[in-house]
Amino acid sequence: MDTLKVRDAQEVEDAVRAAIANEQPIEIVGHGSKRTVGQPMATNAVLELSALNAVTAYEPNELIITVQAGAPLADVLSLIDSKNQHFAFEPMDTAALLGTAPGAGTVAGMIGAGLAGPRRIKAGGARDHLLGANAVSGFGESFKAGGKVVKNVTGYDLCKLLAGSWGTLAVMTEVTLKVTPRPESERTLVLRGLGDVAANKAMTAALGSPYDVTGAAHLPGSALRTTAGALAEIAQPDQSLTLLRLEGITSSASHRAQSLRTALKSFGDAELIEDDASAALWRGVRDVEPFAASGPRALWPVWRIVCPPAAGGALGEQLSRESGGEVIYDWGGGLIWAALPPAADGHAKALRQRVEKIAGHASLIRGSDAVRAAIDVFHPQPAGLAALGSRVKRSFDPSNILNRGRMSRGSAT
Amino acid sequence: MTILMPEPDQSVLARRDEIIAALRKIVPGEGVISSDAEMKPYESDGLMAYRQPPMVVVLPSTTKQVSEVLRYCHQNGIKVVPRGSGTSLSGGALPLADGVLLGLGKFKRIREIDFDNRAVVVEPGVTNLAISQAVDHAGFYYAPDPSSQIACSIGGNIAENSGGVHCLKYGMTTNNVLGCEIVLMTGEILKIGGKAAECAGYDLMGVITGSEGLLGVITEVTVRILRKPETARALMIGFTSVEAAGQCVADVISAGIIPGGMEMMDKPAIHAAEAFVHAGYPLDVEALLIIELDGPQVEVDELIGRVEAIALGCGSTTCQISTSEQQRLLFWSGRKAAFPAVGRISPDYLCMDGTIPRAQLPLVLRRMNEMSEKYGLRVANVFHAGDGNLHPLILYDANKPGEQDAAEAFGADILKLCVEVGGVLTGEHGVGIEKRDLMPEMFSDIDLNQQQRLKCAFDSEGLLNPGKVFPTLHRCAELGRMHVHKGQLPFPDIPRF
Repeated sequence: MDTLKVRDAQEVEDAVRAAIANEQPIEIVGHGSKRTVGQPMATNAVLELSALNAVTAYEPNELIITVQAGAPLADVLSLIDSKNQHFAFEPMDTAALLGTAPGAGTVAGMIGAGLAGPRRIKAGGARDHLLGANAVSGFGESFKAGGKVVKNVTGYDLCKLLAGSWGTLAVMTEVTLKVTPRPESERTLVLRGLGDVAANKAMTAALGSPYDVTGAAHLPGSALRTTAGALAEIAQPDQSLTLLRLEGITSSASHRAQSLRTALKSFGDAELIEDDASAALWRGVRDVEPFAASGPRALWPVWRIVCPPAAGGALGEQLSRESGGEVIYDWGGGLIWAALPPAADGHAKALRQRVEKIAGHASLIRGSDAVRAAIDVFHPQPAGLAALGSRVKRSFDPSNILNRGRMSRGSAT
Repeated sequence: MTILMPEPDQSVLARRDEIIAALRKIVPGEGVISSDAEMKPYESDGLMAYRQPPMVVVLPSTTKQVSEVLRYCHQNGIKVVPRGSGTSLSGGALPLADGVLLGLGKFKRIREIDFDNRAVVVEPGVTNLAISQAVDHAGFYYAPDPSSQIACSIGGNIAENSGGVHCLKYGMTTNNVLGCEIVLMTGEILKIGGKAAECAGYDLMGVITGSEGLLGVITEVTVRILRKPETARALMIGFTSVEAAGQCVADVISAGIIPGGMEMMDKPAIHAAEAFVHAGYPLDVEALLIIELDGPQVEVDELIGRVEAIALGCGSTTCQISTSEQQRLLFWSGRKAAFPAVGRISPDYLCMDGTIPRAQLPLVLRRMNEMSEKYGLRVANVFHAGDGNLHPLILYDANKPGEQDAAEAFGADILKLCVEVGGVLTGEHGVGIEKRDLMPEMFSDIDLNQQQRLKCAFDSEGLLNPGKVFPTLHRCAELGRMHVHKGQLPFPDIPRF
């Protein structure tokens, strides 16, 4: 491996141009906290952006922040927290799941991965918060996408493509993100002992209620058995937890929590957890703590399944029963994290058959090098969409220089 | 017409009869319109200063027909302009003399309502409002609410990434659509996304939304629906200066409050609206804010009090708080009727649509007043204050020689000013033809080339809605050419992979 640490956008452009001229594919890295996600890449040259770490502009009243790509996410989160703001999509911290250094990860890495947390059901994902970007394409050209205001429809919304593209389209050098006020208070209702399908129904009822639920997660008892942290503290042996979050000004969050508790009476008598204790639970859900790499399932492949929310419970129950694995649910059932016992293909074939039946898709977020080399890490697309995706990739990176092969197994050469 | 459209292809025009006959085979009966009189309604969209009869109008009613029409046009090098309800304010559906105008008005069915997954599957010709109406009985609605919502189609909303007064809190179209069926120019039918929160692979839904009909033709849409807020109340607050009103907006946001709607009007707009609808607007103020809070009763009541206190702190001179639904709607009536109200006091007006960083508002309004004097044309401002989206209405009379040109030049200057202060050319109306030639104010050639390369990934021959959005057309082969700069490889120690 040879690493080039760039200091500014011009150096990024120079490096990409040289890479094109020399037909040398490059891996794009911030802190490297998510390098193990994706197909193994066909390169041994690394472009490292962690030195592009400045906050260019933070305008709390305009609801925007502009930072260089390599700005540490943790620092940016503390900065906006100091003004009572946050990224509403609750970006996941992958450190616990992937077993990387706590606190590592850059802003552009977070956008490139697009892993939104529990509030996605209400606030959208990374793609909904990336307002603008400066980036270097695989043509070796610096281009601008979007703008630095919250409302903009000028030209194609290329930001949507950059979010979640795992560095395969362009090297972001600076990004402008939407920030929003942090809720004053939060309340979590806890239902205990529901099966997956019943919990799915309870979450569906909650999300269809007028009480503005901003988190709806379900953790089966068996998945909680070995977890540590806040979730473990409230868990009872072999009893599931169903969590429903309400946020806002204190009077409103309390009021809605009571109303929702009443509305969900048929699912049990919900306990109420407030503010900091509530936030700790949701961090545990967001970061998939039950499947932490420090725990007993460290060697289990972990899948991220996105599906129609009301179908999640039945799917997850089937997957865990058939594979002997564990699942947890977020987004009211629309996001399933599945940790399955080790297998040569990580259970890809069986799992995807089930997932496709309900029009969902599944990506392997944690897996050994061997498993990742053997299967499609990201959900294979129907031929027409896959071909369009390849044309889109080529429209940004015609010689396949950037993160070659990371998102698509067939494209490593 | 001051905007040049692509030169009509004479070889296509020469084959008009043959093309119409072929299209009739695909879409039988009244689905193909070719007489001048019947094509008249399709000559322009909401940007009515521009008119152009199409070569032929085709109104398919199935995805298969759309696919076959596009495949035929692709094979025969015929341009296609898609059209929804024709309410675009930027000329996105302006026909081409040598092009097929493909109207999606017959796609009017709501295909599925799925309350459990909070999703509705509709055909693209369904109006924005009809979606909310279809789920209203269960207490749900579709959040984006462009002011044309009674007429505009959801397919058009996707093309333009439409907003509305509530999008500060609830997002634009792009934040509220989950998936679509799209037909590419080749006739290929693709399904993107669905009822899941995210699609697999690149976010194609995200880039199709707001692509102004240049990437494909939408034949089905899956949208996200939300529960209606329990209640909504509005404050109507007057200020003696635009600065004070702007400060109030900033203070509301820095207090952590994101209102459902936060609208500002300047003095000329207030007077025009009041004369039209008699909403009880104060006439002695320089700026009026309408701030709406929605949500549970207990929350709305508390936030109303907080906003009132903030407004007082900013020197508000009048503040009324709605105590009934009727009164809330009355407050809004003037704002919602602002465009026709201005239409009453002027034979013609141009509606602009820039977004600025809100802190720049006083400067922008001051400069706009100077321009108003320079061009000798009046301007009234309505403003989505929360997100910095300006709608200056330039008043002119098309029958007076030179006034339309002056109004357009004035409008262009306003949009250039928006970009100069850090904003953008369009917040919700789209580029279309209206702002096409201003794109270089905001984007470099490289930026625009990258966008057009993406267009090539969807439409390699550039046949779908050409002449919109991009000031210069390039061939895809030219855009895709790599200009290799031989340089020192900065990774000197490794063998070539």
